[in-house]
Amino acid sequence: MPDSRPDPRPDSRPDTRTLRLQRAMASLVLDRDEAVLEADAGRAARRHGLSAADQQAFRAQGEALMTYRELARMSLLEPLESMFPVLKALLEEAGDWDACVQQFLDARAVRSGHYRDIAPAFLGWLVASAWGQDRWPFLLELAHAEMLEVLVARFPDGEPVPGLHAEPQPGDLLVLDPATRIVSYSHAVHRATEASPHPETRPTHLIAFRQADGEAQLLDLTPATSAFLVRAQETVLGEAAVSLGFDGLAPLLPLLHDLHRDGAIAGFQSPT
Amino acid sequence: MARDRFTGVGLGLRRPHLEQVAGMEGHGVPFWETCPENVVGDGGRAHRLACAILDRDPVLTHGLAMSVGGYDPWDEEYLQGLEQFLLRTGTPWHSEHLCFTSVDANCLHELFPLPFTREAARHTISRARELQARLPVPLLLENITYYAGLGEPDMDEADFIAAVLEGADVGWLLDVNNVYVNALNFGFDPKEWLSRMPLDRVAQMHIAGHKKFGGLTVDTHGADVIDPVIELMQWTLARLGRPVPVLLERDNHIPSLDALLAERERIQRAYDQVLASTEAGHA
Repeated sequence: MPDSRPDPRPDSRPDTRTLRLQRAMASLVLDRDEAVLEADAGRAARRHGLSAADQQAFRAQGEALMTYRELARMSLLEPLESMFPVLKALLEEAGDWDACVQQFLDARAVRSGHYRDIAPAFLGWLVASAWGQDRWPFLLELAHAEMLEVLVARFPDGEPVPGLHAEPQPGDLLVLDPATRIVSYSHAVHRATEASPHPETRPTHLIAFRQADGEAQLLDLTPATSAFLVRAQETVLGEAAVSLGFDGLAPLLPLLHDLHRDGAIAGFQSPT
Repeated sequence: MARDRFTGVGLGLRRPHLEQVAGMEGHGVPFWETCPENVVGDGGRAHRLACAILDRDPVLTHGLAMSVGGYDPWDEEYLQGLEQFLLRTGTPWHSEHLCFTSVDANCLHELFPLPFTREAARHTISRARELQARLPVPLLLENITYYAGLGEPDMDEADFIAAVLEGADVGWLLDVNNVYVNALNFGFDPKEWLSRMPLDRVAQMHIAGHKKFGGLTVDTHGADVIDPVIELMQWTLARLGRPVPVLLERDNHIPSLDALLAERERIQRAYDQVLASTEAGHA
């Protein structure tokens, strides 16, 4: 999910005691060295150049301050645990879940005030950092697949696209519903479960869309139908079908009708 | 005035209840409170249900992540969406927490206490005034629960809150459960604390449940409201002598809607009782 919040240069903020105290609290909550902080909460204040009195205030309230570490981490990690249960099971099996989420916290990648954006921020960090991908080549695909239905279900509502019709003609272009996603993976990650988190290596093509009642739906596609649904957004239906080896548009009409009825396809339009 | 519609005890609109509430006309809840961060920019079925309820019923709005006492620039895109949302709901005011929630553009998704210092008060006053100028409705600030002070203080919590409310010239969303929890954790008398405060600024109240973990009481919003907190609400309402709206918060261990409606009615009875006594006293 794109983040619109500007990230100003550090020197654009005044170096006040209040800001240093806030930075010390962020360190106390997010930094990895929990045992050291537990032993001396004043370290977080020292690290940010605060006075001896402020360091003492941190030390004197160490236990209560560590409550904030617990509460904030619960807030930041609960969306990951609920959004990525299979990924969590995979990494816990290897004893690496805690290390993964700590590196995510180290990256300070949560930039949005929307709680629903925490899980997408984690996926964005996995992409940017390439964490664990040498060991688990399917890791990104697995995380993406776990989040796909939720992203589709909660895609912001928009105005209906004007000028669409319901019956596809060979000379039409296909217009997907804005929430619909067609994805291709190298692994059958959508079949992985918490009990069996290692997906089979198999090219997988899926369409995720929002039904009229608002619920997300995930369907397997063949490689050819997946390619057709992508190509037919740019090339008229008849040509797209023939270029992919179909015997004209006719064999694809039942699929197009079904996807239109179920809300994956917004409609069809003549090229302008 | 639109704000006259808001009296009695309302409920926070929560995701598990959306379907049921959207289908209920006579739910008896005088108003709902909603968090704009959870609605602005969202989509899908739950979003549609929430919008249908917010378009139908009276609504107050309560933000979570504005970081009023922080240093990060405002999220301009969100502020634009918020302005439209506040106008759409017709809320008479919008509340935020008197705290910081982000540092160096990192959102921490927790309500952190501000240092009780003159510098932090000046900074927060300036930020609150800036935010007020960007909103189409009056801004209220809510006192939070805190578990530790941040750094060496220049003043106590009551003086800090009063200084910010007066300096920023904003209204007060008084959370009586937060006062009660802070009183337990820091060992003070909540009524004495409230007696020192600018109660004329109170436009709304919050009430909620809490839980004790070892030596610390935590504002969990995950349990029924205990009688001493209801009594503190009544004591405050009697002091105020006016029917400010009270919002029952429940964010964890969310019970069935029926159970929550029953809890709301219990608090409404306490609310009605104290206001009737106050009116009788004035007659």
